[in-house]
Amino acid sequence: MDQQGQDGLLTTYREGWRNRSVVGLAISALLVSFYVVLYWEHKVQQHFGVAPLTAISEAAGLRNRWYLYGFLYSIAMIMGGIYYLKRHGNSRYNRFRITVNVAIQIALGFTLPFIMPLFGGQELYFSYFWPLKYDYLYPQTLVDLPLYFALYTVVGSLLAAPVLAVLYGKRWYCSWVCGCGGLANTFGDPWRHLTSKSTKSWRFEQVSIHLVLAIAIATTFLIGLDWWIGGDHPAFHRIVAGDHWQDWSIKSFYGFAVGAILAGVIGVGLYPVFGPRVWCRNFCPMAAVLGLVQKLGRYRIKVKPDMCISCGNCSTYCEMGIDVRSYAQTNESFTRASCVGCGMCAHMCPRGVLKLESVTRKRRSTP
Amino acid sequence: MRIVIIGNGVAGMEAARAVRNREPSWEITLISEESDHFFSRTALMWVFSGQMSHRDIEPLERDAYQRLGFRRVRARATGIDIVSRRVSLAGGHEPIAYDRLLIASGSRPRPGPWPGSDARGVGHFVTLQDLDWYEREVHGGASRGGGPPRPRAHADPSAGDSPYRFREVAAEHRGQLARQPAVIGGGLIGIEAVEVAVAAGLRPHFFIREEWFWPIALDRREAQWISDRMAQHGVEVHLEHDVEALETDADGNVSAVRTNQGRYESDCVVVGIGVTPNTGWLADTAIELDERGGIAVDEGLQTSAPDVFAAGDCASVRWFDGTRRPEQLWYTARDQGRVAGGRLLGGVPRYERGTWYNSAKLMDIEYTTAGLVNWTLDRESDWFFEETGKVRSTTRVVVQDDHVVGFNMLGRRWDHTVLIRWIEERRSLDWVLAHLNDAAFDTELVPPLQVLRA
Ligand SMILES: Cc1cc2nc3c(=O)[nH]c(=O)nc-3n(C[C@H](O)[C@H](O)[C@H](O)COP(=O)(O)OP(=O)(O)OC[C@H]3O[C@@H](n4cnc5c(N)ncnc54)[C@H](O)[C@@H]3O)c2cc1C
Ligand code: SF4
Ligand code: SF4
Repeated sequence: MDQQGQDGLLTTYREGWRNRSVVGLAISALLVSFYVVLYWEHKVQQHFGVAPLTAISEAAGLRNRWYLYGFLYSIAMIMGGIYYLKRHGNSRYNRFRITVNVAIQIALGFTLPFIMPLFGGQELYFSYFWPLKYDYLYPQTLVDLPLYFALYTVVGSLLAAPVLAVLYGKRWYCSWVCGCGGLANTFGDPWRHLTSKSTKSWRFEQVSIHLVLAIAIATTFLIGLDWWIGGDHPAFHRIVAGDHWQDWSIKSFYGFAVGAILAGVIGVGLYPVFGPRVWCRNFCPMAAVLGLVQKLGRYRIKVKPDMCISCGNCSTYCEMGIDVRSYAQTNESFTRASCVGCGMCAHMCPRGVLKLESVTRKRRSTP
Repeated sequence: MRIVIIGNGVAGMEAARAVRNREPSWEITLISEESDHFFSRTALMWVFSGQMSHRDIEPLERDAYQRLGFRRVRARATGIDIVSRRVSLAGGHEPIAYDRLLIASGSRPRPGPWPGSDARGVGHFVTLQDLDWYEREVHGGASRGGGPPRPRAHADPSAGDSPYRFREVAAEHRGQLARQPAVIGGGLIGIEAVEVAVAAGLRPHFFIREEWFWPIALDRREAQWISDRMAQHGVEVHLEHDVEALETDADGNVSAVRTNQGRYESDCVVVGIGVTPNTGWLADTAIELDERGGIAVDEGLQTSAPDVFAAGDCASVRWFDGTRRPEQLWYTARDQGRVAGGRLLGGVPRYERGTWYNSAKLMDIEYTTAGLVNWTLDRESDWFFEETGKVRSTTRVVVQDDHVVGFNMLGRRWDHTVLIRWIEERRSLDWVLAHLNDAAFDTELVPPLQVLRA
């Protein structure tokens, strides 16, 4: 493309803060601390007598610390988006994708949920679906939600999301809509080369992500069951759906382990150590579902035969740790469940070997 | 069966893997002077600049040799005895006996023919040791991702002529990193050395002997675009400059490049005037070399010696036009490695090269070529189209006797397999232009090329 936006790409490994130097690790420690305070502010308050994030939120007129979080999240995505465009903006796919993703976060991830309560409505997130937004399919939640949104959630989670993944791959969600993916691709972009490409990390991912999916489904199922029979069985109810952290019910455990630790503290906090898609790659149950569907659908990465020079730019910059080179050098077009279709491998390839495409098997010119 | 392979590059590795796939128990030995691990030579520039770490350019995991049961010998081969079937090694290593042998020793950089070419601060950009040298001159060392393994393995004088020797670094003698690098030779390695010097924040001189950049592949209009782009990035492009000497200061560090047009201060010079087969170490061996120094091989990559084969940059193979010369390309080395693997297994595969094609990225401009371009054929004509607007590109179609024989494309991505098919089907220019976008390989959302015909 006749564009030059490649600032700082060639010198990626020469910048310490992006490569696990002291500064890089300090950024990670800062992020981890932020998430710890965010999720366990009540503990901080118990010990130190202050609730820093709540205090800031109230001073800024943001009602509670979750809106402050949403606000900072949006700022991080905007700044990261600008950084991303400076480095990779010389591709139309990249430009469109990041613009749409950031816009969705600002509109549906922050502004709308902030405004709705002002008009007496509930705070609703249109850009998240079950099983990522795990409570949206809990029966009690569905009952409490406005009817249109309950329908939106059920149809979106169980029908629309998988169907779109069959048609376009999981990228329609993971790389264009999702806020978690969006943060990884913008704020997390400086560290995308750090994702491990080892076979070991691939094995880990296959086990961990499907394990979390299984737990997500089991939790949803048990909570559904609790809705029917919980009233008659108080012990069952307490174990499954007790609401307090202290109760250690299955519901609160899922929220703690998956929602807070895996998605927040580890998922974002460790960007500067393990690369930006730690959560998406290893734990996200939504990614697991869409990945399985993607394997059956039309999406694939097409490899132009006998052109690859095995340089490794594609593998290095794959944020999901896919060893793209291993397919490219054996002329194998491929679909990997974990591929989020960010397009970076194709963009980075200095020999134009790779191309993302969504076409029916019949229309494919090469196998 | 004892298989010995001299060379741990793509040709050698591909052959070794082909053998291992079929014969789990054969003894396979890989000899390499340059490095412990197979790596992609094509990716040196990105390790230098910091776009990739050294580990990133190794296509295999580090335990691959163990997993595949390859014995590794890190040493310089100094000759082959084809009667007693032994490879002799420098540095006190025992000779290695073979039943079947593959030579895949690659290329070496062509040294500068000018006075001062061996001064401190003058080097090349082909081997890992060259990378080490250039990194030390410009950056003072490897990036945080780690550079090539650095044991100074070849400090011993017997390796004085080896392309894998470590060089002295002028920056270390001067106590100051290079500020004004110069690159001599307007080809692919030259432009890579220039691009990464720009990424290091410098404004390199780029001396090109010809009238325009890379004339064997580009025409004047195409090269002009590349030159303009280089100039925009801060490269001092000097066309039609014939280098006459490299000057040194009192300490023996390079200080300037003198050409037929002037004298240019410079404290680090990369000589990128081509590569030659790395076969000097075979001089006293009864294996036939051709006049270019390439190892003469037949259609099955067999050399003049029994059970000795050659593949990759060091072998003079038959080209599609019938001539015999080395093909210094990554994927041809890989193909040849596969064929050689078949020969080491005892089969009789043949190496057949089809229509020529290649691709590259010149600064940030994509380049694809297929067929006969810049061959100045009889009765040939060029159809040229320059696209401006959202996408800038050039399309050049070479036509001979009413059918298309070649393509030279800049600024967009093309599927060379489709272009080659059209050449082989002898399509007309009209037909090709009507169907051109069937060969498009641009990333999604890029508007298709619209050719306007006068
Ligand atoms: C900077 C650069 C960029 C390039 N870019 C491209 C590109 O974009 N596209 C492309 O198609 N090609 C490119 N090439 C060319 C490509 O890299 C080569 O064609 C290819 O690497 C050849 O592989 P090979 O296996 O024949 O030899 P090599 O990779 O050169 O391997 C030679 C092996 O032989 C060993 N060896 C040599 N002599 C001895 C000895 N006496 N004793 C023991 N071991 C020995 C070495 O240790 C080494 O392991 C590029 C080359 C360079 C230098
Ligand atoms: S394989 Fe390519 S498109 Fe898929 S996640 Fe990796 S870099 Fe992105
Ligand atoms: S970036 Fe392109 S040329 Fe390099 S290894 Fe990947 S597919 Fe091959």
